Amino acid sequence: MSRAVSEVVSPSSNEGEPASWARRLVGNQQFMLFVVFVAIFAFFTFNDSVFASVSEIGNNITDFSTLVLLAVGETFVIATGGIDLSVGGTSGFAGVVGAIAMEHLAPHGEWVVLGVGTLVCLGVGIGIGLINAVLMHYARLVPFVATLVTMGAAEGMSLVLTGGAPVGSNFGAITLTEPKISVFSYPDIIIILITVVAGLYLHYSKFGRYTFAIGSNSFAVRAVGVNVRRHLTWVYVLSGALAGLTGMFIYMRLGSGAPSAGVGTELVAIAAVVIGGARLTGGSAQLSGTVLGAMILTIVSSGLIIMNVSPNFNQVAVAILIALAATFQALRKGSRADV
Amino acid sequence: MSDPTPLYEARNVYKNYGSVAAVKDVSLTIHAGEIVGLVGDNGAGKSSLVKVLSGVYQPDAGQLIVDGVERHWKSPHDAMLAGVETLYQDSGLALDLTIGANVFLGREKMKPGILGRLGFLAQKEMDAEAAEDLERTGIAVHASKRTVGQLSGGQRQAVAIGRAVAWAQKVIILDEPTNHLGARQAGEVLAVMRAARERGLGVIFISHTLPHILEICDRIVVLRLGSVVRDAPTSTFTAESLLGTITGLHAE
Amino acid sequence: MKRDQVRSSSGRRTRFAGAKAVLSGALAVSSLALISVGSATAASASAKKITVAFVVGAEADPFFISMNAGAQAEATKLGVNLIWQGNPSQYSPSTQIPIVQQVISQLQSSKPSALVLGPTDPKALQPYVNQAIKAGIPTFNVDSSVANLKKVVSFVTGNNAQGGAAAADALATAMGYKAGKKYNVAVGMTSPTATTNVLRFQGFKAEVAKKYPGIKIVAEAYSQSSPTTANSNIQGWLTKYSQGSSTALNGIFAIDGTNAEGAASALQAAGLACSATSCGSGKVALVGYDAYNTNVALLQQGIFAALIAQDPAKEGMLSVLNAYNFLTHHKVKGIKHLITLPNVTLTPKSPAALLTKYTYQTA
Repeated sequence: MSRAVSEVVSPSSNEGEPASWARRLVGNQQFMLFVVFVAIFAFFTFNDSVFASVSEIGNNITDFSTLVLLAVGETFVIATGGIDLSVGGTSGFAGVVGAIAMEHLAPHGEWVVLGVGTLVCLGVGIGIGLINAVLMHYARLVPFVATLVTMGAAEGMSLVLTGGAPVGSNFGAITLTEPKISVFSYPDIIIILITVVAGLYLHYSKFGRYTFAIGSNSFAVRAVGVNVRRHLTWVYVLSGALAGLTGMFIYMRLGSGAPSAGVGTELVAIAAVVIGGARLTGGSAQLSGTVLGAMILTIVSSGLIIMNVSPNFNQVAVAILIALAATFQALRKGSRADV
Repeated sequence: MSDPTPLYEARNVYKNYGSVAAVKDVSLTIHAGEIVGLVGDNGAGKSSLVKVLSGVYQPDAGQLIVDGVERHWKSPHDAMLAGVETLYQDSGLALDLTIGANVFLGREKMKPGILGRLGFLAQKEMDAEAAEDLERTGIAVHASKRTVGQLSGGQRQAVAIGRAVAWAQKVIILDEPTNHLGARQAGEVLAVMRAARERGLGVIFISHTLPHILEICDRIVVLRLGSVVRDAPTSTFTAESLLGTITGLHAE
Repeated sequence: MKRDQVRSSSGRRTRFAGAKAVLSGALAVSSLALISVGSATAASASAKKITVAFVVGAEADPFFISMNAGAQAEATKLGVNLIWQGNPSQYSPSTQIPIVQQVISQLQSSKPSALVLGPTDPKALQPYVNQAIKAGIPTFNVDSSVANLKKVVSFVTGNNAQGGAAAADALATAMGYKAGKKYNVAVGMTSPTATTNVLRFQGFKAEVAKKYPGIKIVAEAYSQSSPTTANSNIQGWLTKYSQGSSTALNGIFAIDGTNAEGAASALQAAGLACSATSCGSGKVALVGYDAYNTNVALLQQGIFAALIAQDPAKEGMLSVLNAYNFLTHHKVKGIKHLITLPNVTLTPKSPAALLTKYTYQTA
């Protein structure tokens, strides 16, 4: 017995030894992302001090709020080894349906309108999440295909409902996205709170544990009696719900429901998750990384606007960031294999 | 073998795939503190029988009896809840999860009070208990915060077996647990099985490695073409006679 | 594919820059003569009913809905059987080609017939136009065109370069342009490859260079068809040029629908939008493109100083008429090969009837 004990222990014992803290920091993706964020911020500020102005920081936070919930939902999905291509289309469709509903409710006073509108957007998001789950579980589609289907359907339905033009103009709603507490608007604060709670759930709850476990080895999870299908349903519903809320935020930001509002944003959200260090095959993700990824993507695009650089460079910059993040991850993995 | 109620018993079990009978009229008993070897050539029906015993498949006919009570497994989880743990060939660990998380997978402990109700895990407690459980079964893994993916193949297998032994209340089914392991690591796995036997568990050990079977089992059940062709104490076998029984090339 | 799906207000118009350059000088007067010809011959329709099939990009787009209305009215008048086809929402050759193939075989079995196509891509649709012509179906282009217009009977489209120039004039008026003063203007576009954008912007720049030396184009950005991106681009500019509660940015040309929407909301949020009653200094004059009903509503509120509107109903109407005349007289005579319709400038002061006439219809 004691032989077994010693054998299993020995190879592990040197890894926990104190490598210098500096080396540990460099090996920490979150820390590196933070350094990159600060460097990019400093670069843009050096270029034009307006970048560090309260007003531009407020703009950036609005942009961040538009992106981060999609990226949070995507983080859960990617942690299970799936992908949700429908979040962008869902946010647009939810915004459109919400806008139409709110237009009809207009006589009922602002808070009723916004409250019900939020619920409608949430409901649309949850509905699309459920459809994704049904397509995966019953039509046996892989997540990529299932969510591609709902992405197309949501984007198409938005156009059909609106005829391509924005609907339900309500410029009163725009004031809600203006800074109220320091540089934050009320919706910003709600979105940040949701992000924090989601992070706690992903990393410290049973729900998060199964999310990672399914991405790592769904067979093992099923074998211990966890209902994997049900869990995945919840994950896609969560992703859809967060996309629905994003649709509401976009509605407030634009003061109308815009059919093409969410188009393409799923790719930005996925980019934020990947830059944040998640593995696309599942099992490994960090919500703090996703948040940093979203922050970096936000300031890169707004900084390029302030610099008046050819906007095409934005896409190149994002591509470079993704490549760097992926390389960093691969290198880190390689060094671990050497241990 | 005189104990009148075995821990786990299969009585006249059949399992067919279409017209092919994978398991034909198999009866099998496992008693407390006993290691039973289950051997047979490829296609002899071992995997099918294991899957019936562990609840993955339901038998087409026959009975499964735990502690004298007939049971019908709807899933492996049912069997687990009744005290029958199975270690699959592909080990069933989530490589990205920590050792502690794997040991408690599906049986997580929640934080006390409102946080637990909200779904938050008592991670420290689980890590400490996992280390304790593994140590008790003869496996000590430092730093249970490391992911299983960071362990060597032998260490992973040790964690998988340790988990099964730690949770098993009655019977543990080990399907090829020494596959792909070096001699030393395989020795450790056998030591864990002995520890399980000492704890009064019934162990079903499925393996192609006949020396391991002969070394550790109290009794050997030989399957051929879906049926039990011999069920006898290990002492009645020699390496040659066991091989002969498995292949059917000469009668015993 | 993604960009194409939301073509509603971005790159719908022709991508064939060469043809457009030729067109830009053309006048629409010639079409007036055609209208009278059409009306005169209406009663004497040949024994067999004429079938005209339209295949457009995105059916649900108000632009095409308006075109459909114009075409249908003319078809009813002339006793023509009208087929209207198009993917509901996707402006893309991959969805348009199968529809075109289907329609061609349909037309072959119901001659005399003609095909009016608004190709979603000048090159991808070329072989199908050739195929239709080979099958004896005279083919017309509307709104956008194929690369080789030689065998196409006629091409009716809006004049983007003229529209861009009209936008420059409208913006200068809205800013109260005076010679010798300096004006900063930003331009919101969709993508660098949407030729409609490029042509409008070229027309805009040419007009500025010619007439308004005081106007400086200080920023350009692409929305990639997303009003959210447009909003954030414009927020960035407003911050960059902000001067306390006022701004050093005098005007914005929102070249298409998404930019119009993003600009309007960003100006509202910053409190820099004009109103129906005033657009004084310290506010940003906004000129947009395309008369979607939400845009027209914003125009009436004064948030838009002007909208440049196309006339899709007339494009549809003229296309039907051309097809009818060609099939009735079996020759090209009297049908202009290229018909470029000028864009109309709508302002808050435009009469209600004019606004109604040019507002794109919804289903």
